[in-house]
Amino acid sequence: MKREKGFTKRNFLKGILAENPLFVSILGTCPALATTKTVEAAIGMGILFTIVLVCSSILVSLLRKIISEEIRTPAYIVIIATFVTIVKMFTNAFLPELYLTLGVFISLIVVNCIVLGRAEAYASKNTVFDSLIDALGMGLGYTLAIITMAVFREILGTGAFSFGKIFTFIPYFKLQIIPKGYEISLFQNPAGAFIVFALILAVIAFIKNRKAELKSNLEKQEKIRKQQEAKMAAESSGGESK
Amino acid sequence: MMKILVTFVLAIISSMLIDNVVLSRFYGICPFLGVSKKVKSSLGMGLAVVFVIMLATLICWPLYQLLQLAGIAFMDTVAYILVIASLVQLVGLFIKKYSPTLYKNLGIYLPLITTNCAVLGVVQSNTDQALTFLDSIANALGTSIGFLIVIVLFSCIRVRLESANTPKAFKGLPIALIVAAIMALAFMGLQGLFSGINL
Amino acid sequence: MNQTGYLILSISILVILLAVFIVSFILYKRTPLPKGCEKLKISEENCSACQNKGCEFYQKKDEEE
Repeated sequence: MKREKGFTKRNFLKGILAENPLFVSILGTCPALATTKTVEAAIGMGILFTIVLVCSSILVSLLRKIISEEIRTPAYIVIIATFVTIVKMFTNAFLPELYLTLGVFISLIVVNCIVLGRAEAYASKNTVFDSLIDALGMGLGYTLAIITMAVFREILGTGAFSFGKIFTFIPYFKLQIIPKGYEISLFQNPAGAFIVFALILAVIAFIKNRKAELKSNLEKQEKIRKQQEAKMAAESSGGESK
Repeated sequence: MMKILVTFVLAIISSMLIDNVVLSRFYGICPFLGVSKKVKSSLGMGLAVVFVIMLATLICWPLYQLLQLAGIAFMDTVAYILVIASLVQLVGLFIKKYSPTLYKNLGIYLPLITTNCAVLGVVQSNTDQALTFLDSIANALGTSIGFLIVIVLFSCIRVRLESANTPKAFKGLPIALIVAAIMALAFMGLQGLFSGINL
Repeated sequence: MNQTGYLILSISILVILLAVFIVSFILYKRTPLPKGCEKLKISEENCSACQNKGCEFYQKKDEEE
């Protein structure tokens, strides 16, 4: 099979920027709002999510010629649910603090639209390697997106970064950024999650609008310049004929 | 008897208003944002979710006891998603066959209910908290009605937002999320509603 | 009940659940659309924020484009 140069790289990067599942496609919003109180919880959620996405994408892609068209969706749901159960049991055994913090949201990866959406839209039609790269990109894009939200919420809400509470294998440390008494605890509340998400989406919309404006301005200038050139050419040719 | 009834009603109200599904537990944000541009469609979605959550809870509680008996309690998530997905398909089948009007209004949202976190979230959290049958029903009823109330209220506000003069970058979703944040603040004010009641 | 009994019980529960799901799914797909609903489509008004590519209506829209 022939393919363009740099296809794999673009396939990987599209999940992080151009088709970011959270900020561009607005999918998987429930865990993004619920598990972003602390950066640590967000990292944990992102890792678990990526593992499920990668494993299910690989298996769906491997089985894409065996599963008949008719029972595609049921088969995918069972595959995803099985991987979620496996991940859940591993988390419970090895990282009990993470299991307690995320709670029911580990199980809710099953109904996360991104996993099923990638299985149906990509892994069911492409080779194992492409699906793996796509899933890695999407998982990393989602993880980075929820970490971004968690950074704002944790710094503004508690005034400090703290690590070691959930991932107990690293020693506990706390980094005070905003002096005590000046933090805005609203950002730790549900309302703060909505506000942070709204502001990030607004910033993205602003950048997009700005780019579109610049582009249309450039096109306009180009058009005017061309018109003027045509006019000049017409005038000059008209002058010559006289 | 009286005491049980009061506890039941209080549990419904507390999971409906104080600990609202969407605004404080963050289940079902996708349909909350996606299907709330028109009051009519949000009402349809909300009612469908109430119906599916109630049915799923009624089936999944006994099912979990059976799973425990068989020694495969760890397979609960797989079993629940199978139950929910087949419920949605069966309800859809019924509507498709016998009620074209209902299908016209709800048909598009049926596949969305399977991937609605609220349904699996309620059933799973009932299991994780080891609630009794009565408490599970109260939780399911309160949660689903809470979802219906919030999505209808939100769509009413969004209809007005359409004609409002918002900054260009905030048009559409961002301003809707700000509205949701203000609603979450308002619902936070209901905390401590029952602080004076002792049972 | 002995060990084998539990094993059979647990496997049969899961198999029954799976069978019910697959049968209901296929039945739903094969039931013809009711009159007047042949052209149901997702619209900007109804599902603005959701871009769930798994949704059958979304796939229809993609095919049209």
